Amino acid sequence: MAEEVTNKSLWKESTKNLWKDYSTELVANKHQTLVDILKKIPLFRTLGKRELKTISRFAHERVFETNEYVFRTGQPGAAMFIIKEGEVKIVKEISDKENLEIVKLSPGNIFGELALLDSSPRSAGALASMPTKVIAIFREELNKLLDSHPEIGGKIMLHLAIITGKRLKDTTTQLIELENEMHLLKEKINEK
Amino acid sequence: MKNSERVSRSRIFYFSVFFFFLLLFGYLFFVLQDLVLPVLMGMFVAYISHPGINYLRRKGIPKGIAILILLGAVSFLIFFLGQRVVSAIPSEKEALELRIQLQYKMNKNFLTFLGKDDFSSEGNIIDDVVGDELIQMFETWNSFLAFDENDVKEFQSYIDSSLVSKRVLHFYTDNLKYEILPTPEVEVGKLSDSLFPLVEKVKPSSRISVFLNAISTWIILPFVFIFLLIDEGEIKNYFLSIVPNRYFEMTFATFANVDEAIGNYLRGTLLQSSLVGMTIFIGLVLIGFQIQAAILIGIVAGVSNAIPFLGPVIGLITGILYAIIVEGIDPILPFIPDNPVVGVLVVVLIAQFLDNTVFQPLVLGKAVNLHPLVVVIGVTGGSIVGGFWGMLLAIPTIVVFKVVISTLYNQAKEYYIIY
Repeated sequence: MAEEVTNKSLWKESTKNLWKDYSTELVANKHQTLVDILKKIPLFRTLGKRELKTISRFAHERVFETNEYVFRTGQPGAAMFIIKEGEVKIVKEISDKENLEIVKLSPGNIFGELALLDSSPRSAGALASMPTKVIAIFREELNKLLDSHPEIGGKIMLHLAIITGKRLKDTTTQLIELENEMHLLKEKINEK
Repeated sequence: MKNSERVSRSRIFYFSVFFFFLLLFGYLFFVLQDLVLPVLMGMFVAYISHPGINYLRRKGIPKGIAILILLGAVSFLIFFLGQRVVSAIPSEKEALELRIQLQYKMNKNFLTFLGKDDFSSEGNIIDDVVGDELIQMFETWNSFLAFDENDVKEFQSYIDSSLVSKRVLHFYTDNLKYEILPTPEVEVGKLSDSLFPLVEKVKPSSRISVFLNAISTWIILPFVFIFLLIDEGEIKNYFLSIVPNRYFEMTFATFANVDEAIGNYLRGTLLQSSLVGMTIFIGLVLIGFQIQAAILIGIVAGVSNAIPFLGPVIGLITGILYAIIVEGIDPILPFIPDNPVVGVLVVVLIAQFLDNTVFQPLVLGKAVNLHPLVVVIGVTGGSIVGGFWGMLLAIPTIVVFKVVISTLYNQAKEYYIIY
């Protein structure tokens, strides 16, 4: 009888421990993975672990299937996305069935980050080219973060401004290069 | 083919789940209707407290302590106001005395207004023109205050025990000139349909019974308040996680817009009502009302001010009723008229003028606009469904529905869900 009671309590204890270990691991894993992923993003690079944990609280994970749109051209932007697993193509939608691929993005890349500034329509669409996991961070929640944790929100906004500025410079350089090429082409045509 | 089968299966699944939860929610709403108001109030207090929590967190105070500070402030406010309100609720004897006093004063003032010594004598020009009609209306009002056989029996026992002052006894004998009504037969279940269910359900003889009745269901309020403030968006995240990918961004944007619009509306209305209540309180103190009475009338006027059109009238009637029975009014400022009824009228008019010209434009700004007809139908419908609380909650409920539907419609269009 006493042995039965001991066995029962042992079984109960081990089940409890198993569940405890599993749940702790689950929570730790979820946070660790999210925090680790966020840490690699240039936008969050200057943030500490604790600050990243705060952000991970409003990071929404979504799974997209192959050829499923994350967002489409013209839709108002509400969130920035970080690729956790898989691949996303940034596309210019020519017609319902035809797309022009602009760039392919891999895990760790971000896209749609301008939605963190305002809700103006998306200039291009984002299409999952294989089963893909993304993390979404919304502008409204970032605004709330600016209200409750201005130090974290301020750092993110500063980096967002730097990234946007850098992209603007790159676009200007590309535009100048294109113009030069066009000029050369025109000269060649005139010579002929 | 497989994919379309999957889509139709998932549609059936979502529809069944939605229908099941709608039924369950409807059933729970019906069964637990006593809890609806405390839960709504808890949600409301938590909702309007969010900026306060953010302010404290910006000052470097941890969230847990910030919640405790706010809970302390809200409890103190409820305790302070509750104590004032409970102490101002008259006992059975006081209620009878108030009715005697009110009936006597109303009769006296009415006869003075018509220029009569008693109801059979000749009066002034108003009496000649509309006297009969006014007397008929007055008789109806009087029948609300007049004693029935039970009241007479009860009051006689107080007179026998020498608990009644000479002044009230004089009023009482004067009122006896009018007929005594038979005791009305009241069906037990019908009491809850009255305008003030809580006051009528519980006999005002015991203040403790009022307190206990309120605490049994209202105990849930602080729990709702604390848990909603502790929540770091888990509730919203859960709902977002079950939304299909196609609607994900749209759902979040709708949540955010609705949250902002309703938050602004509720905080604006609360601030506006508080300012009106405060103005009336200060005005009544200036015309010489006791502070306790001024607080009570200020609260009634402030809370009812949230009911469009009818609210200011409720505040005015409460103030005038008190002004009719009150004696020994001594205005603080010399130029204020001695007549308290005129004083109340002026105070309420000033409060309404300030409300329309300063408070509303300043506080509500770009708040949700409702068509006046919707407001009138909403308030009337609210009063039929839920009495006073129904009237009070009708407009916020309509505003919530309007904001949710219009935002959902706009977002669905912008995200190409509908065309």
